[in-house]
Amino acid sequence: MNKVVSMHDAISKYVKSGNLVFFGGMQHGEPFAAAMEILRQRIDHLQTVGCLLTSLSLLIGEGRVDKVYTGYHGQDFNRAYWMARAKAMGTYPIFVEYSHFGIAQALMAGQMGIGFIPVRSQSGSDMLKYNPNIKVIDDPFTGEKTGAVKAIVPDVGILHVQRCDVEGNAQRWGTLGVDAEGINASRTVIITTEKIVDSDVIRRDPNLTIIPGYRVSAVVEQPWGAHPMHLAGCYLGDWPGLLAELGSEDGYDTFMNSCIYGTKDWNEFIEIRKAFRGEDYFQRLEIKKIPSDPIYHGFEELE
Amino acid sequence: MSQQISLDYDANDQMIVSAAHLIRNNEAAYIGVGLPMAAALLAKRTHAPDSVIVIENGIIRTGEFELPAGTDTLGTQYQADKLAGLSYISYLGEAGFINLGFIGAGQIDRYGNVNDTVIGDYRNPVHRFPGSGGANDVVCFCQRTCIMLNQSKRRFPERVDFNTCPGYFDGKPGQREALGIRKGTGPVAVVTDLGCYEFEKGEMVLVSVHTGCGVTVEKVKAETGWDLKISPQLKDTPPPTAEELAILRATTAPLIARRRRTDMETK
Repeated sequence: MNKVVSMHDAISKYVKSGNLVFFGGMQHGEPFAAAMEILRQRIDHLQTVGCLLTSLSLLIGEGRVDKVYTGYHGQDFNRAYWMARAKAMGTYPIFVEYSHFGIAQALMAGQMGIGFIPVRSQSGSDMLKYNPNIKVIDDPFTGEKTGAVKAIVPDVGILHVQRCDVEGNAQRWGTLGVDAEGINASRTVIITTEKIVDSDVIRRDPNLTIIPGYRVSAVVEQPWGAHPMHLAGCYLGDWPGLLAELGSEDGYDTFMNSCIYGTKDWNEFIEIRKAFRGEDYFQRLEIKKIPSDPIYHGFEELE
Repeated sequence: MSQQISLDYDANDQMIVSAAHLIRNNEAAYIGVGLPMAAALLAKRTHAPDSVIVIENGIIRTGEFELPAGTDTLGTQYQADKLAGLSYISYLGEAGFINLGFIGAGQIDRYGNVNDTVIGDYRNPVHRFPGSGGANDVVCFCQRTCIMLNQSKRRFPERVDFNTCPGYFDGKPGQREALGIRKGTGPVAVVTDLGCYEFEKGEMVLVSVHTGCGVTVEKVKAETGWDLKISPQLKDTPPPTAEELAILRATTAPLIARRRRTDMETK
């Protein structure tokens, strides 16, 4: 089944106010274009889960997030204008705090379809006083104590990948952060991809498939879809550049109004960014691509 | 072109060099961005060429790479020995296969407990740090953990306001194990801009002072929030050698140049 839709339609159909949304990309290849489309459509009261998400700062800054399941997020008002902005608007989210492994394993339990999973970190931390989803329990086999985290099952997950076919067989490489557990834990799955490729390309190297098409609801082809994050084999990142730009009220408002709300989609965003960052900005983020050696999966029987 | 390497160094250089000395050859070290990354590269280029660098986003590598601006970059990924996800990295530690870990800290206390979360009340903070990230996992999983931070009385309280990454709690033995944390883990070293510390019966002990940077024991005590235990074998911190400084300069130069270019572009 062909699941290719526009970014607009994927987000409007599958991301609803109040949803718990998983965003893939732990510093690497975050689905930035999709997150910005959520902003454009003014979808609010979101809950989010992921690790080291840069787009989360903008979702919070615009007051669209009620609750954040996280291991790490800059909350210092003096260093993060977007946090101060959310506070001033009265939309400062609740943070449910774990270690990074805690988040990863909560999603892993979600992927596995079990209620909780033992973890040997976080125990004894004051995080447990404020996060009811982490506990120290008795190991039923040894009688010793072990930490445990409750499963997280996102309503919808969004992952950006290097290539995907029209059916949603999505292939991603480079570091995977919490991508595999997060996207496979999600009930509904949106894949945004640099490129839609023929199914034969997928099937000639199927170990790279991070989630099979039958688990995917929508496929969006979106070049530069992870920008300003880097994406292995595709382009360099410039997220420190973006955060520097967003650090002041002026810079923040200009970015939101001109580049997000003032554009109809990500392709227009990319065009308008050149006016801000220079005509050659995206050329400078391009890389000389070096191929891996081919491996041999395929076969025909010898006569 | 031969260039005279300046033998001048500052507290940052000393921290990197002292941290590098903790990395042994053939060991796996869990490394975060900043000073630990520079320390790991320095160790690799000096006494520990076969050390394994483990990065939380899912990177395991033994080969050379340029000092990066972040943990996950195309440069830290490229030519890794294995790329995976955060869980895989953590499983290695949880199962006992990571020797050494480095973390930063907002605050650290007498018993090696680290606060990366909040100063003041959790619900009504005086100051917010970003949270554990992988730090709690590192202290729970790695056989030895080294904590690196700039020292001040505010960041060295007797008890942390919020225990994000438990060290030895109140110092009584066996508390980590009683919670199910892997035996044979925990903080073993603290490296600050003033001195180096080890742990004795769960309590932080000053073992060397960065006298080469002009630091005195009195200064260290003044920037510590409790009655600091001082090792009877207290030493001057071994200063960086000329070779270490030369390699360190060469290690940091590309990143400094890259930052300078970026600064110029954003101006």
